[in-house]
Amino acid sequence: MSFTDNIDVAFETIDKDNLSVVRESALTSFKALGLPSARHEEWKYTHIKTKLPETLRLAASFELQVASKLKYFNSIKGTKLVFINGDFSAESSVILAQSGLTVGSLKENSNLYPEQFEKYFNKATDISKENFAALNTAFVRDGAFIYVKKNTIVEAPVFVFHIYDNASADVFTQSRNLIIAEENSDITIVEDFQNSTGEKFYNHVSEVYVGRNAEVNYSLLQLHNPNTTSVNYVEARLERDARYHITTVTLDGKLVRNNVNAYMDGENALATLNGLYIGKDANHIDNHILVDHRVPNCNSHQTYKGVLDDGATGVFNGKIFVQKDAQKTNAYQSSKAVLLSDEASMNSKPQLEIYADDVKCSHGAAIGQVSKNELFYLLARGIDKDTARGILTYAFANEIIAAIKLPELKTYLDEKLKQRLNITI
Amino acid sequence: MLEIKNLHAKIGDKEILKGLSLKVNAGEVHAIMGPNGTGKSTLASIIAGKEDYVITAGEILFEGKNLLELSPDERAREGVFLAFQYPVEIPGVSTTNFMKAAVNAKRKHHGLEPIVAKEFLALMNEKRQLVDLDKSYLSRSINEGFSGGEKKRNEIFQMAMLDPKLAILDETDSGLDIDALRIVADGVNKLKNKHNAFLVITHYQRLLNYIVPDYVHIMYDGRIVKTGDKSLALKMEERGYDWIKEEIGV
Ligand SMILES: Nc1ncnc2c1ncn2[C@@H]1O[C@H](COP(=O)(O)OP(=O)(O)OP(=O)(O)O)[C@@H](O)[C@H]1O
Ligand SMILES: [Mg+2]
Repeated sequence: MSFTDNIDVAFETIDKDNLSVVRESALTSFKALGLPSARHEEWKYTHIKTKLPETLRLAASFELQVASKLKYFNSIKGTKLVFINGDFSAESSVILAQSGLTVGSLKENSNLYPEQFEKYFNKATDISKENFAALNTAFVRDGAFIYVKKNTIVEAPVFVFHIYDNASADVFTQSRNLIIAEENSDITIVEDFQNSTGEKFYNHVSEVYVGRNAEVNYSLLQLHNPNTTSVNYVEARLERDARYHITTVTLDGKLVRNNVNAYMDGENALATLNGLYIGKDANHIDNHILVDHRVPNCNSHQTYKGVLDDGATGVFNGKIFVQKDAQKTNAYQSSKAVLLSDEASMNSKPQLEIYADDVKCSHGAAIGQVSKNELFYLLARGIDKDTARGILTYAFANEIIAAIKLPELKTYLDEKLKQRLNITI
Repeated sequence: MLEIKNLHAKIGDKEILKGLSLKVNAGEVHAIMGPNGTGKSTLASIIAGKEDYVITAGEILFEGKNLLELSPDERAREGVFLAFQYPVEIPGVSTTNFMKAAVNAKRKHHGLEPIVAKEFLALMNEKRQLVDLDKSYLSRSINEGFSGGEKKRNEIFQMAMLDPKLAILDETDSGLDIDALRIVADGVNKLKNKHNAFLVITHYQRLLNYIVPDYVHIMYDGRIVKTGDKSLALKMEERGYDWIKEEIGV
C-alpha cells in the first residue's frame, strides 16, 4: 500500500485557494507520472519508493509547546521566518522590515501578490517530468515568500527555519518557497531544516529568480536526524549579469535527494553550485545537479565534496547542458568523495551535453581515501592515526564551508562539521 | 642513541638498502652524502616509519628500543623527527592547529596536560622567529602555496616546536639560496645540544660549512661505503663520486 492509492481523497481535503488551478494540473501530472521506480534513469541509485510513508498526512497542526522557546542563530541579526510542522508561525518569526523587501508566508502572499505568482510561481520547475515537484505543487502547504524589489540591497540575511516536533512523526511535508530578486537587488538566504527524532519525510521545492545584475546567496542546511527522508528541488533561473551562489550542506539523513538546477537565461550570468555531504551508518545522499547554458557568455561552477563512512552511499549526477547558441560558455564541475570504510560506496556520473563549439567545459570526479602522503606527514609529527584521519577529512570537507560568505554561518557550520566528524582541533 | 645494524630493505621487488650500518650518539652531527637514487631518503623514511618498505634483514635500535616495532606516530612522540625532502601541502589545515595537535600528542605521551593557549602562542612565536617565518604563515594551510625555501623553513620550525632527540634532515638545504641556507643552519645550531643528535642528508658540502658534522658518511647503492670527518665532504665535492667508486672497486 502506498499513499498514492488514496491521493484523490487527500486532495479533496485541501482548502480552495489562489493556487488551486495550478494544484489541479499538478495533481494530474503526478498521477500520470506516479512515483519513480528503480528503472527510472534519474532514480537508478536512489530507490525512494520503499522509503515513503503509506499515508499522506496533510493536517500537521500539532500544538507546539516549544514554539516560544525557539532560539536559532540568536547571535546573528536577520529576518527569521519560522515554519512549524509546515505552517508559518508569525509569533516565532522575526521580520526586519525594509522598504523594497517582502518576506513571509507563501500562502498568505499568494493572495497579496497575484501578479508575481502568475509570473513566477511554478515556472522554474517542470512538473510534467518531475514526480516530486508535481506532488509538491499539488499539495503545497506553505513556505517562504521572499520578494526583493528592484535596486534593493537586503541589509540582513533572511533565515527560513523548518521545524518539526517529535509528535509530527510520519508526516509527509510539502513545503515550497518562492524567491524573487529583481534587477540590481542583493539578498542572502539561509534555509535550515531542523528536527530531532522520529521518521520525517520532506518534499521541498524552492524556486529562485535572479533578475538582471542581481545577486542571491543561498545556503540550504540539512542537519537532519538519521530517520529523515528528504527530496529537494532548488530551481533557479538567472537573467543577464545575475550572480547566484547555492550551497547545500547535508550532514545526516536516511535518504536525501537534492535536485539543484540552474538555468542560464541571460548572458554573462554566473552560477556557483557547491555541496558538502557527510554520510555515516546507512545514510544515502544523492545530489543531482543541472546547469543549463541556454545563452552565450555565462559561467558556472559546480563543486561537490562528500565524506562517506560505515555503510553510507553517495550519488553525484552532474549535468552540464550547453545549448547550441551558448557560445563562450565557461562551465566547470568537480565531484570528490572520500570513502572512510570498505562498505561505503559512491556513484559518480558527470553528464556533459555540449552543442556549441566555442566553449570551455571541464569536469573531474574523484573517489578515494585520504592521501597516504598527507597522512604520513601528520603521523611523522606524532599525531595518532585516528586523529590524523579526522583532521584530513575535516580539511577536505571544510573547503565548501570556507567558501560561504556569511561569517557567522561559516562558524556555525564549521562547529557542526567537527562534531559530525568527531574531531577537536 | 640510534643504532642501525645491517639493514636490508626493499620496496616491491626492488632491494634498496643492502646492509646498512650506522651508529649515532647523543650530541653528534652526522652527514650522509651520496648520488641520487642511492637510498638516502629511503633510509630516512624507514627510520620515521613509512610503511611502503619491507625490512628483510637487520635492526634499528633507538635508545635501546626496537624502533621497527613502533608506529610512525609513536616514534615521533618518542623523539624522532624527519624534515622531509618534499614537504607535503595540506589544504584546509593551518600550521597552528597542526602544531597544537602535534605538541599535545607528545605531551600526552609523556603524561603532561595539554599546553595552555598562552604558552602555546609564546612557543610558536619564539620558534618561528628562529627560522624567520612570518606570523601569517602559521594561520595558512600547511605548506600550501609556500615557496621551496618556505617549506624547508617550516620543517625546521616544526622541528623546533617538537624538540626531538633525533632529527633527520633530508636535503633541507637543496634549492635554498644562501640567506635561507644560513637561516636554516642557524636554526639547527641553536637547537643542537649534548642530548640530541642530527642526521643531515645533503648533496652539497656548502651546508656543512654552517652545520659542522662530526662524521661524514658516503652512501652508495644502499650501503655506507666510507666514513670520515668533515674533510671527506670537501674531497667528495672536489673529486665527485667516481673517486669513491674506484676506491670501493665498482
Ligand atoms: N615508491 C617507490 N617505488 C619504487 N621505487 C622507489 C620508490 N621510492 C623510491 N624508489 C627507488 O628507490 C631508490 C632510492 O630512492 P631514494 O629516494 O631513497 O634515493 P635518494 O638517495 O634519496 O635520492 P635523491 O638524492 O635523488 O633524493 C631509487 O632508485 C628510487 O627510484
Ligand atoms: Mg632523497
